Amino acid sequence: MTGAGVVSEDRELQVREGEGCYVYGIVPADASNVGLEGLDGAEVCLVRQGPVAAIVSVVHLERSAGRRDELLAHSRVLDAFAAAGPVVPVQFGAIVEDERAVREDVLADREQQFVELLAELSGVLQFTLQARYDEATVLAELVRDDPEIAGLREATRDAPEDQSYADRVRLGELVSQRLESRRQTDEQTLLDALEPHVMGHRVRPGASIDHLADLALLVDEEQREAFENAAEQLAADLHERARVRLMGPMAPYDFVGEE
Amino acid sequence: MTVQTSQRKGSYLERPTPSSLADVIDTILDKGIVIDAYVRVSLVGIELITIDARIVIASVDTYLRFAEATNRLDLYEKGGEGLPEAIEDLQQGGAKKKTSGAIEGVKDGVKKAVTGGDDDDKDDGEQRRPAKKSSSRRRKEQES
Repeated sequence: MTGAGVVSEDRELQVREGEGCYVYGIVPADASNVGLEGLDGAEVCLVRQGPVAAIVSVVHLERSAGRRDELLAHSRVLDAFAAAGPVVPVQFGAIVEDERAVREDVLADREQQFVELLAELSGVLQFTLQARYDEATVLAELVRDDPEIAGLREATRDAPEDQSYADRVRLGELVSQRLESRRQTDEQTLLDALEPHVMGHRVRPGASIDHLADLALLVDEEQREAFENAAEQLAADLHERARVRLMGPMAPYDFVGEE
Repeated sequence: MTVQTSQRKGSYLERPTPSSLADVIDTILDKGIVIDAYVRVSLVGIELITIDARIVIASVDTYLRFAEATNRLDLYEKGGEGLPEAIEDLQQGGAKKKTSGAIEGVKDGVKKAVTGGDDDDKDDGEQRRPAKKSSSRRRKEQES
């Protein structure tokens, strides 16, 4: 590997044998490098190609399994760039051979696509809203509202396990069905309340009993305050039944992928 | 890892910053543009991770866990203790952990695989409990 002629922020990007370029994301070529530490504490650099640039750092290819820090570094770097301007996140774990490969194979090939994406993402922020039921409260609601559930529960609660097996399966099936329909209603309520303040949303699936909703939301900077107020209001409305967490602003992870 | 949660005064909305490891995994895994495979270097110890962690739901085992969770609401109807206490008992006893733990088992397994079963993963889980407790405490105060 040459490592020659690689200039970013007037510094040469040295990629030696046994090393590669970890790619975090794509930004406009005039984005400023905020001087972060990336994976393994390596310096984060910009590799420019025409109107776009890749956010990269040098990594060793032979690695011990320590992905926790890598995941955190990946999101930390992207979120920092997102705070300063538009950024297109690259999926976690992408490493290419050297700086030439970053320019020619990653950037040059899809330059136009990146330019368009970056223009779309200019002035917008991603938030992630997570709502989780208070499990006991929502289950108590189901028992209260559905006589069949209440009856089956009565029949199985103190019965020996082997004798009540079929009833318990039926009870669990009913509870999971009713819970899912209640969850969908509640999720829609969240979406209806947030929709006026967002430019787009993605619904992420969940699997736990207490899952109410995971929503990725794309918000215009100008709408940020109205959006946050709406989220505050939802959390207050739901607080007897669920917890609401709002994360962000962060890089627009959910709005650039090929879906 | 420290998770700082800032909250407006009197607000019910939690604003965790920075996100916990669990949040980061949910946020970034499988997200973002994909760089073509022929361009990528193959390497040891880190790779693109594609998972479907949501394959668990409709099985008899799952139903039994829902039934168990529902049946554990005992105290709710028997008088004596009111609902808030029942909720707190449920949370403090192993019941909650057993049910949701089992159902989330697959996902946790994936997270462990991704993170090498780091201890901090556990910490992230425990971060959630005080917040829950305080929300049921709040409820208790309002009702009394």
